[in-house]
Amino acid sequence: MSDLELSVAAQETGREKLLPARWLWSAILPIAMVVLVLGFASFDRGVLSSANLLNVAQQTSYLALFAMAQTVVILTRGLDLALGPTVSMVSVGTALAMAGAAATGHDPSAVLLAGLAVGFSLGVACGLFNGVVIAMFKVNPFVATLGSYNVAIGVATTLSSGRPVQGVPTLFSQIFYGGSVFGIPAAIAVTVAVGIVLHLVLARTVFGRSLYIIGTNPRAAAVAGLPVKRILITTYVLCSALAALGAIMMTARTGSGEPNLGGALSLQAIAGAVIGGTSLAGGRGGVGTAVLGALFITILSNGMNLTRVDGYVQMVVLGAIVIIGVLLDRLRLERRL
Amino acid sequence: MHLPPLNRPPEKPMDTDIDPQLVPPLLRLRGISKRFSGVRALDRVDLDVRAGELHVLFGENGAGKSTLINLVSGTFPPDEGTFHFAGDAIHNFTPQRARAIGISPVFQEFSLVPSLTVEENLFLGREVARSGVLRSGQMRKRARALIDELGFDLDPSRRVDDLSRAHQQMAEIAKALLGKIRLLILDEPTASLTERETGRLFELIARLKSQNVGLIYVSHRMREIRALADRVTVLRDGRHIRTLDAATSTDGELVELMTGRKIDLLFPTIAHEPDKLMVDIENLTLTDGSVCDVSLHARAGEITGIAGLVGCGKSELIRAIYGIEPTASGTIRIDGAPYESPAPRRSLKRGIAYFPANRIAEGLALSRSIRENASMTVLDLPAFARFGILRQAVERTRIAGIMAQLQLRPPNIERPAGALSGGNRQKVMLGRALTRELTVFLFDEPSVGIDVGAKLEVYEFMKRLVEAGAAVIVVSSELPEVLALSNRLYVMHHGRIAAELTGAEKTEQNVLSSFFRDHLTAEVA
Repeated sequence: MSDLELSVAAQETGREKLLPARWLWSAILPIAMVVLVLGFASFDRGVLSSANLLNVAQQTSYLALFAMAQTVVILTRGLDLALGPTVSMVSVGTALAMAGAAATGHDPSAVLLAGLAVGFSLGVACGLFNGVVIAMFKVNPFVATLGSYNVAIGVATTLSSGRPVQGVPTLFSQIFYGGSVFGIPAAIAVTVAVGIVLHLVLARTVFGRSLYIIGTNPRAAAVAGLPVKRILITTYVLCSALAALGAIMMTARTGSGEPNLGGALSLQAIAGAVIGGTSLAGGRGGVGTAVLGALFITILSNGMNLTRVDGYVQMVVLGAIVIIGVLLDRLRLERRL
Repeated sequence: MHLPPLNRPPEKPMDTDIDPQLVPPLLRLRGISKRFSGVRALDRVDLDVRAGELHVLFGENGAGKSTLINLVSGTFPPDEGTFHFAGDAIHNFTPQRARAIGISPVFQEFSLVPSLTVEENLFLGREVARSGVLRSGQMRKRARALIDELGFDLDPSRRVDDLSRAHQQMAEIAKALLGKIRLLILDEPTASLTERETGRLFELIARLKSQNVGLIYVSHRMREIRALADRVTVLRDGRHIRTLDAATSTDGELVELMTGRKIDLLFPTIAHEPDKLMVDIENLTLTDGSVCDVSLHARAGEITGIAGLVGCGKSELIRAIYGIEPTASGTIRIDGAPYESPAPRRSLKRGIAYFPANRIAEGLALSRSIRENASMTVLDLPAFARFGILRQAVERTRIAGIMAQLQLRPPNIERPAGALSGGNRQKVMLGRALTRELTVFLFDEPSVGIDVGAKLEVYEFMKRLVEAGAAVIVVSSELPEVLALSNRLYVMHHGRIAAELTGAEKTEQNVLSSFFRDHLTAEVA
């Protein structure tokens, strides 16, 4: 027995030694963000103007929504490459539905409802498809969502003939873009509300708990009798539904259904989740990591825009950031922090 | 066959203190020790294998046989000890060097590449080529010649993953025999061969011996040891027990040496009171064939043991009851009611719990807290979650109480399960048994990887379960454990029940004789 106690004691002290390191790890991102903001500000004072800060907050709220969606599936060791095209598809579908309903003379509230119903249905359908293929047919999430990536692009482009869909009622934009709750712009308010609810779901519900357990050890989860397949399908539906919500908010901003709206979003959302500290190995991360990562990426691209960094160079930077994020994740896992 | 002419080690200048009669052994190991993450797998083991000798390694599972043959094959280096081959001291040994000096292993786990053909596998890494172009014609000819000579019914142009296990075993042996060979290592080579193929293998072994090849042979089968062995080295708990001449030793002597462990564990006295029939299995066969036509029952108030060697199907059997191995045919009845297509969630609802042998792979989510790991199996109960929302206060107090009862040390349930020792990890698993109403407990190798103190606590735990009226089934490769704990003991062999022992018949001798009984009929069929 003394052996056993010794080894436990050894592990304890080992953990205590790592504790400062753990603090350091979680401080890396906030420190990097402060450095970035100060660095950009030294080039252009405009970075710190209240108008730009509000702009950053709005931008962050869209990306945070998508990063949260991505985080939910990454927690289960999954991935949703199709998130961007889903956003495009939902945008086009919502706009078409509203334009159609308005053209047939329905009253404005019915038009909005039609748009929301079609938008969310498309999102849920997409998630259901991904979830069923991944959970029931055991297709690798990368391959499965790469497939639906192309399907969603095809659908979005075909429905819209590749052009922006006009006829989005101004009421829609007024509510979901121009609207505000207690003076907080709609996009930020929606993201904050979704973030709080999602955090509670992850922390306080059986579903949330199951996500972490499945992500940490899927085999143990199955042996312990967790309904792994059902939870995985629900997870992909939740991911795509959140993507649909983001698509609706963005469609309200642009005022038209855009078949290219989701272009780089899949990668940006993954980057946001991973940079924030969501582990691609599953079981680690949450709303906090998604929001933090989204904020980081928005600050970076906003600063690069203001300091007129070339758009293609920005892509290189984003790609490098994803790789750095994954490397950090590896390091964290190896050190078992 | 490309068996080399015997390259005797260069005769050394005569040493005065060495008996000139003594031929230096082909392989000479002295004081070999090997530890794996703190566990001593081999403890100062000596082994001599002479040229032209078949040397049997004999011992229970975990005695160190596999570790020893892996060392000799260069899979990993020893921590201490010396290694001489053909008179030369060997350092920095690797599998490649082993092959180069003529040591050729045939392991139970195959080293064949499934997507290549037999002949491609035979020449893997030593392809015959001229200026970078493979000479497949020549390789094919040599492969065919070798397989013909071995007398195996094996088509060298077939892909390995299309072959049966027996044919894969033949390909593995053929691969080991291609090229220069001075020491052949065979690890239970007959496990998947038919009688006829076994016969060919034995002829081949005789031929190799006459060509002065040394052989290390691992087997549990007395009959083979009798037929083949020159000498037998008995290992137990990683230690060299004795090396005997096969001709002058008896079966009884060997088995006694193999099992004669010191009594290092006290088992609790369990008051078995067999009551209601809780688990009733009839003619159960699994889709992968690991369990074949097994009928077995377990009653409330007693521990039913299942003994057997590794791979005999005993784990698969209880895993099938719980619903994690697919069944092909047969019926399972739980508490009198038929239980069709079992699945973990439904098993738990019916009161069946399973404790996996591999707690890291199948039991625990290591980076999650002890609390979450212990409550993993009860998230469907209203006591722990209402309308999908966790009742975390209830969870905290319930799990803290259970872990205190199981004397988890230290008693902090918020620590990650991965920070715990093996014994404490098993306690987290046992904690699951106390979180919900359960009546049937299936333990798969319950004391694997835990220290003596924790073992005792696990046994006490089972005692409490049984005396409270639960039905407990214990599957174990540790014979003393399953003998001491069980009221009735089934012995499994090759996927079938070989014996059911109760009362006075429940002895180590009887179990072992069912292990080693020659299953000629089963093998022919």
